Amino acid sequence: MATAEVEKRRNHLAALSFVAVVVVLGIPMWLRTTTTYRAWLPMAQIQELAELQLLLSTDVEVVFARGTLTPEQQKKIPVMHSRDEAHTIDETDLSMHTLSESPCGSLVVYVIPQSSPLLPQDVDVYVGQRRMALLRVDANMKAGKSLHQVLAALEPQVKEVLQVMSFSHDDITAALSDRVRLSPGSSQSKADSMRTFKSSPGYEITFSLLNPDPKWHNVYWDMEGAVRTYVQPLLSKLNPVANFSVDSQTLHYTMLGVNSRFDANHSAYTLSADSLAHVINPVEARLGSNAASSNPVLNFLLYVPDAQHSPLHILDNQKQKVTSNAFHSPRWGGIMVYNVYGYYGSDEIAFDININMVKVMGVFLSQLR
Amino acid sequence: MATPLSLLLIVAVTIRAALFRSTLAHLIAERVEVTSPLTAWKRVVEGLALLDLGVSPYAGDVFHETPLIIYIFHFLVDYAEVTFMLADVMVAVALYYAVRDYNKQVFRKQKFALEADRYPADCHELVRSPAEMHYVPLKVAMFYLLNPFTVLSCVAKSTCGLNNAVVSLFILSTVKGNVLLSAIFLALATYQSIYPLTLCAAALLYLMQRQFIPINACRLSFWWFVAQYAFMYLGSLFVMVGLSFFLLGSWDFLPAVYGFILSVPDLTPNIGLFWYFFAEMFEHFRLFFLCVFQINVFIYTVPLSIKLKEHPVFLIFMQLAIMAIFKSYPTVGDVSLYMAFLPVWSHLSRFLRNVSLVSFVLLTCSALFPVLWHLWIYAGSANANFYYATTLIFNLAQILLMCDYFYAFLRREHHLVHGLYPKRKDGSEATLVLK
Repeated sequence: MATAEVEKRRNHLAALSFVAVVVVLGIPMWLRTTTTYRAWLPMAQIQELAELQLLLSTDVEVVFARGTLTPEQQKKIPVMHSRDEAHTIDETDLSMHTLSESPCGSLVVYVIPQSSPLLPQDVDVYVGQRRMALLRVDANMKAGKSLHQVLAALEPQVKEVLQVMSFSHDDITAALSDRVRLSPGSSQSKADSMRTFKSSPGYEITFSLLNPDPKWHNVYWDMEGAVRTYVQPLLSKLNPVANFSVDSQTLHYTMLGVNSRFDANHSAYTLSADSLAHVINPVEARLGSNAASSNPVLNFLLYVPDAQHSPLHILDNQKQKVTSNAFHSPRWGGIMVYNVYGYYGSDEIAFDININMVKVMGVFLSQLR
Repeated sequence: MATPLSLLLIVAVTIRAALFRSTLAHLIAERVEVTSPLTAWKRVVEGLALLDLGVSPYAGDVFHETPLIIYIFHFLVDYAEVTFMLADVMVAVALYYAVRDYNKQVFRKQKFALEADRYPADCHELVRSPAEMHYVPLKVAMFYLLNPFTVLSCVAKSTCGLNNAVVSLFILSTVKGNVLLSAIFLALATYQSIYPLTLCAAALLYLMQRQFIPINACRLSFWWFVAQYAFMYLGSLFVMVGLSFFLLGSWDFLPAVYGFILSVPDLTPNIGLFWYFFAEMFEHFRLFFLCVFQINVFIYTVPLSIKLKEHPVFLIFMQLAIMAIFKSYPTVGDVSLYMAFLPVWSHLSRFLRNVSLVSFVLLTCSALFPVLWHLWIYAGSANANFYYATTLIFNLAQILLMCDYFYAFLRREHHLVHGLYPKRKDGSEATLVLK
């Protein structure tokens, strides 16, 4: 039983209290409970990582041979052992390495007396394999000087030797430049960095012979012999690095996915450089693979074009014929087109292509490298 | 007046006793509409058993009632049925006397208003007579005791009956004007389940009007009374929480009871709105929706108390209805408590617009609940959506009932100020439109 004025005011107040609760309580609660969680990243520290210096450290051991130090000086150095020298540098290297008690991976610098026959006369320093170096001491170092002075005099020479023997920043950069892009470079360096294969314990190499027209061409290749002669030496040299397994196959009725055009300039059918990219995909579907292993596969294909499309040449970017008539795709393999000349005129043609395995293998090997 | 009441009580007790002895008792005790993870009797027994074994009753997320219940039933577990029947009787008696007192006051206020000639001339139909108000308290007691929801709740031995008893004692003490007892019972009700906190505003309004303290935020007496009541309320709450701590020796009843009510970890289906929502929600948003749902229960307090400043008992009715609909684990026992008040507003029946719709929907949903439960759980041919749809419609009907009564109440008040048959300036009949 209130007047209209009071009623209206009450209505407004009631509505306002609703809004107040929603704004004061509701919106902050909504904001707090429904924001996505953002993890805090230490950007400063991440930036620092980009400039991180690579620190490689090794132990260095300096061994004084008999006769380099006077007996007094010798007393102050803990005597490890004494041994007889070998007679040539190489033998020294090997024997020292096998006899050495220093921990694996450390550099050893041997200081030998002036009169030692190990090094030729005017050579003072020899850096050997197996992390060893020989340093000839000066004649005037021995007499009358204390141990500290002798060591101080030797120090710059030892340092120089060590610097030669160890990796520097430039060495590492050069070694890794294939894999790691050190700075955003040109497209060429990008392409180069993508060219190398990811390292894996083993690789599979597959050689395939593609014959689109077995009715007219009866091709045959002597794979085993070719592999033995040409490919195996390379693989044996690479054996410590990875295992290789080689297999081969022949595929009939496989077409290239691309139509080659007859080019009057070269009086041959041609495949231009940009159409090469489309060749691989349809062909790859038909290539069987040895599915038993998880190693990456390198495919090398030899394509013999059929009579309608002979001869077939590949053109590079400047529309010139590629001499080897082959192209390769990084990390996948290569394709070579083998044109058969001058065998026409009869219906049934069968021939083998042994002889030109040389050419083929040469191409393949260069692609494999 | 007492004889019909005692007769009613005897009838009610007989019905309950008969049902207790029948095989239906066990069946009813398992129904999810009647018991919730908060109020189930099975869990009380579990808690007592754990206490006997020397383990905290709250270990293992089984028992979620307050230590007071443990304390009571530690002595009364053999007389549990009697306890619950007694609780129902207590509710009925308390509501009877409360409504009788309230009616007396309403009548007195009306008499003053009539003598002061504050009502328009054509409002005679709206004025209430003692004759029609004579049987209202009995009807209230009857509505509570003979309501099938109440009977089911009592037979299932759901502790909701005890909560209702405390709330009804609070209402009685408020209507009688006893500030201290009102604060104590309100603290007890809040201690049992958090939601009766919203009744605080209604109690304050009623008590201040009874003591003729002006409800004006600028006046000192207003704030002084609020401070007194708050002190009594918080003091008794603090005492109860402290007693619970000393009873069980640990604080783990706080997360087990209040943490459970507020954070709703148990998603057993019930007649509420929480379980389905939280069953299908992404974890990331759970806290947000939890806050929204819990704020939803409390957000209506202030606007309603502003609007119904002069009618605090109606405000209590509204608050009870809101609690029964929007709380985290409602049961039909909560529904029956506010439905007991409906005879008090029987004079509003001429302004109610959706009576048939609401009653049909409530009846249908009550019948559909067990059917769809059986189809979902046992027959496997329905799924949770069916049951939740029934829940939704049930709550929708309750909300509609509440809004209907609110509308009717306000409309009557409006008519008492502006006349029953409004006329336009030229004397022709006008119609009222609710904006």
